Amino acid sequence: MNQQQLNTRISEIRDKLTAIEQKPDNRIWLSCESENAYAVNKFLFEEVPLRFVIATVIDSDDYFEVLYHYAYDEIGCMVTLKALIRDRENPAIESIAPFLPGAEWIEREMHDLMGIEFRNHPDMRRLILSDDWPVGVYPLRKDAKKPAERPDGEPSRRPTVQSQSPARRTVQLSKPVLPVGPFHPLQEEMELFQLAVDGEIVTDIDMRISYNHRGMEKIAETLQFDQVPFLVSRICGICSASHPLAYVQAVEEFAGITPPDRALYVRTIINELERIHSHILWVGLAGHFIGYDTVFMWAWKYREPVLDLLEEITGNRNNYGNVRIGGCREDIPDELKPKIIAEMDKIEKKMVMLTKAVLDDPVLHVRLKGIGILKKEDAINYCVTGPTARASGVDIDVRRDEPYAAYGVLNWNVITQPEGDVFAKAVVRLLETLEAIKIVKEALVKLPKGPVAIEVKQIPAGEGCGHAEAPRGETFHYVRSDGGNRPVRHKMRAPSYVNVPSFKASCLGGNIADVTITLASVDPCYSCTERLAVVKDRGGKVLHDYETLLKLSREKTEKIRKEIL
Amino acid sequence: MNNEMQVLFWILVFPGFVFTAVLGLLAAWIVRKVSALVQYRVGPPFLQPFWDVRKLLSKEVLIPQEANKWVFIGAPLVGLAGVLLLSTLLGVAAFWPQKTFVGDVIVAIYLMVLPSLALILGSSASASPHAAVGTAREMKLVMGYELPLVLAFIVVIIKSGGALGLAAIAETTPVASISGAVAFLVSLLCIHAKIGYVPFDMAEAETELGSGVLMEYSGGLLALWNLTSAMMLVALPMFLVVVYLGGFGTTPAGITIGLLKYVGVLVLIILIKNTNPRVRIDQAMRFFWIGCGLVLVTAIALATIGNIYDIGWL
Repeated sequence: MNQQQLNTRISEIRDKLTAIEQKPDNRIWLSCESENAYAVNKFLFEEVPLRFVIATVIDSDDYFEVLYHYAYDEIGCMVTLKALIRDRENPAIESIAPFLPGAEWIEREMHDLMGIEFRNHPDMRRLILSDDWPVGVYPLRKDAKKPAERPDGEPSRRPTVQSQSPARRTVQLSKPVLPVGPFHPLQEEMELFQLAVDGEIVTDIDMRISYNHRGMEKIAETLQFDQVPFLVSRICGICSASHPLAYVQAVEEFAGITPPDRALYVRTIINELERIHSHILWVGLAGHFIGYDTVFMWAWKYREPVLDLLEEITGNRNNYGNVRIGGCREDIPDELKPKIIAEMDKIEKKMVMLTKAVLDDPVLHVRLKGIGILKKEDAINYCVTGPTARASGVDIDVRRDEPYAAYGVLNWNVITQPEGDVFAKAVVRLLETLEAIKIVKEALVKLPKGPVAIEVKQIPAGEGCGHAEAPRGETFHYVRSDGGNRPVRHKMRAPSYVNVPSFKASCLGGNIADVTITLASVDPCYSCTERLAVVKDRGGKVLHDYETLLKLSREKTEKIRKEIL
Repeated sequence: MNNEMQVLFWILVFPGFVFTAVLGLLAAWIVRKVSALVQYRVGPPFLQPFWDVRKLLSKEVLIPQEANKWVFIGAPLVGLAGVLLLSTLLGVAAFWPQKTFVGDVIVAIYLMVLPSLALILGSSASASPHAAVGTAREMKLVMGYELPLVLAFIVVIIKSGGALGLAAIAETTPVASISGAVAFLVSLLCIHAKIGYVPFDMAEAETELGSGVLMEYSGGLLALWNLTSAMMLVALPMFLVVVYLGGFGTTPAGITIGLLKYVGVLVLIILIKNTNPRVRIDQAMRFFWIGCGLVLVTAIALATIGNIYDIGWL
C-alpha cells in the first residue's frame, strides 16, 4: 500500500473526523471528537491496519487532547489521531484496550497522570502513581499544585497510609504465588512479576512497574529545547543515544532543520556502537539467567572495547550527550577512524565465534527452543517493537522503514525470525550485532567532510513525532512547542513499555525455569525509574542532598582536571 | 590407643572432620579460582572460603516465623553428619584397607544421599515459596540420579568379581575397560548433580528461585551448608577415585598418584560446570533415566559378556 492508497483508506472514515491534515514529511494528522475516537481507533488498528505506537494526553487550556500515535511501517508514515475531550470537569473517553491490549498500560498511565476516565477499561488499577498518592491529584496537569502547596496542607506522599482502594496496584492472585521482584537476582531494577504457579507451571502473571517514577515528561516541560537531550539521554544509560536522537528528530521535523551530512553519519555510528554494546550486554545477561556464567563474563569482556571507543568519541562510556538540535556536539576525528575500524574487526571475529558457539550448542537448543513463544498476532496486538517483534516474524525496523540519520544510504539487512521463541530472539540479536558492526565500518569509510552541526536560533511553534530504533526497539518522542523556548508537552515512550506487557501472552503455561528466561528475553529495561537517591541515616538525617552531591561532583571533576593538567 | 579412641580420631580429625573440611574448603577455592580464570576474572584469594565460613558463623541466624523450627535447624546437622561419615568411611578404606568391613560400599551409597535428603527436609521446613519449588526440584533430581548411580555401580561389582568392600574394589581399576569407563562418566555426572553445580543447579537456581532450597538459611546454619557442600567436594570425587580409578594405595607414591586422580576428577567437574547452561528439571530427569539408563544397561551387558568370556577390556 503506498501513500495514495493509505490516504484513500483513511478517507473512508471521513465523516467521523473533523480534519485530515497531510504534511509533506510523511505525517498525517487526524482530528475527531471524543465520542468518535473509539470507532476511528478501531478502524485504524483493525481495518487499515496500522501499528499502535503510544498515546499522549495534552492539557490544553479548556479541553484535553488525547493523541493516538500510529505507524504505517511499510512506507514509514506516522498517523496521529487527536481526540478532543471538551468536558474539563469530568474528562472521559471510551477505552480502546478491549480490542488493543497494547494500549492497556498507557490508558492507565493517562488516568494516573491527567485524570482521564477510560470507560470499559479492563483493569483500571494505578500504574505510575504509588499506592499512597492522594486520590484526585493529577501531577501532569498544568494546574497541578506542587506537593507543598496542596490546599489541605497534607504532604502529597503519606508513606504510612496504605490505600485499600481498587486503585491499589498489587493484586492478590488466588493461587500460590512465586514473586519475582521487587528485588530479585533476575532483575537489575525494581519491578514485580507475580507468577501464579501450579507446581512448576505458571498459570497467571501480574506485573507491577514504576516503583520509582522520575516524572521526566514533567521535567522536560521545565527545560529549554537544547537542555532536553541531556535529560532524555538519562532515561536509560544504554539507550542514551537513541532517546535524544528521537527527540531531536521530532524537533527538527517541525522546525524544518536539516543537519549537515557529516552529523547524520556521526549519529549513525554512535547509535550502532550503542546497539553493539547493548546486544552483547543482553547475550551476557541471558547466559547468566540460565546459569551460563562463562558466556556472561566473556560477552561482557567483549563489550568493554566498544564502551572505550564511545568514551573516546564522546567523552562518556554512557550518557554520551552528543546529539543536539541541528547536528552533533562532538565530531569523530579522522585520525580515530583506523582505530575504530581495527577494533570493529576484532569484535566482529569474537562475535562470529560467540554466535557460532551459541547457535551450535545442543544444550542451549534444548534450553531455549520452543520456549516463551510470542505468536505473530500477539506481537501485533501488544504492539511490541524491536528484536522482540522481529523474532516473531513482524518485519519492522525504523532504520529501514523511515530512514533517519544515514541508514538510508548504507547497505545492511533487517534480521527477522519467524519462530517467536527465546532462541529466535537470541539469533536476531546476535546477527543484528554483526550487521551493526558492518554499518559502523561502512559509515566510517563513507564519512563525508564538512561541519558537524548548524546554528539553530529559534524553535517555532508546532508539533512533531520522532522515532529511532533503539537496541530494544522503537523509541518514540512527541514534542509540541508553542513558540516559546520550552516544550509545552513532551511524550517519551521507551521500547520496553510495549514489550513488557507481552509477557501476558508469552509466559502463561510455561515452566518456571522457562518463564524466567522469557522475562529476560525482551531485554526489559525499567528505565523510567529513579531521579535522585536521597539517603537517610537511622536518625532521619539526610546524608546526601542535592547540593552536597552537586558539590561532591564538582570537587571530583576539579580533582580529575588537576590530575590531567 | 584403644579402638574407640581410634574411631573417634578417624571421625573427628583424619580422615574425618578436620581433614575433609580443610581439604574441602581448599577444593572450593580451586573450583572458584579456576572458574574465575576460565571467565577472565581474577578470582578470590586463597583463604576466601575459610573467611566466608568464619564470617557466616558470626552472623545472626534468622528462622522464618512459619518454619518448622527443629527440622529447619536439625537438617544442616544431619547433612553434615552424613558427609562426615561418608568421608571417614572412604578415608579408612583408602588408608587402612585392613580395617574395613564387608558391605561398606552399600553404606557409602546410602550415606551419599543423606545430605540431599537433609537439604530437602530443611528447605521444605522453611515455608518459603521459592524454597518449596527448590525442594520439589531437589527431590526429582535425587530420584533422577540415584538410579544411574546404582546401575553404574553394578558394572563395578561385575568387573571386580562380586566384591562388596571398598578396599577390595579399590584394588581393581574398572575404568580401564569400555563398560567401566562409561560407568565412570555417568557416575561423574551423578556426582556433579549431587554437588549441585551447573547444569544441575536447578534446586538453587539463583536467577529463578534466588538460591531456592537455601533461600531462608542464614548465619551459622548457612555456614554448615557451605561446609557440607565443601566436604562433598572431597568425599564424592574420592568415592569415584576409590571405586573407579584404583584408589589411593598406601605407599607415598601411591598416595601422590591417588591425589592426582582426585585433582583430575575435580578438574573434570569444573570443566562441566563452566561450559554448560542450567537445564530444566524435566530435561535432567529424562537425561538421567532414559539417556544414562540405556547407556548403562548396555554397559552392564558388555561387562557381563566380558566377565563370562574373560575379556578384560569390555
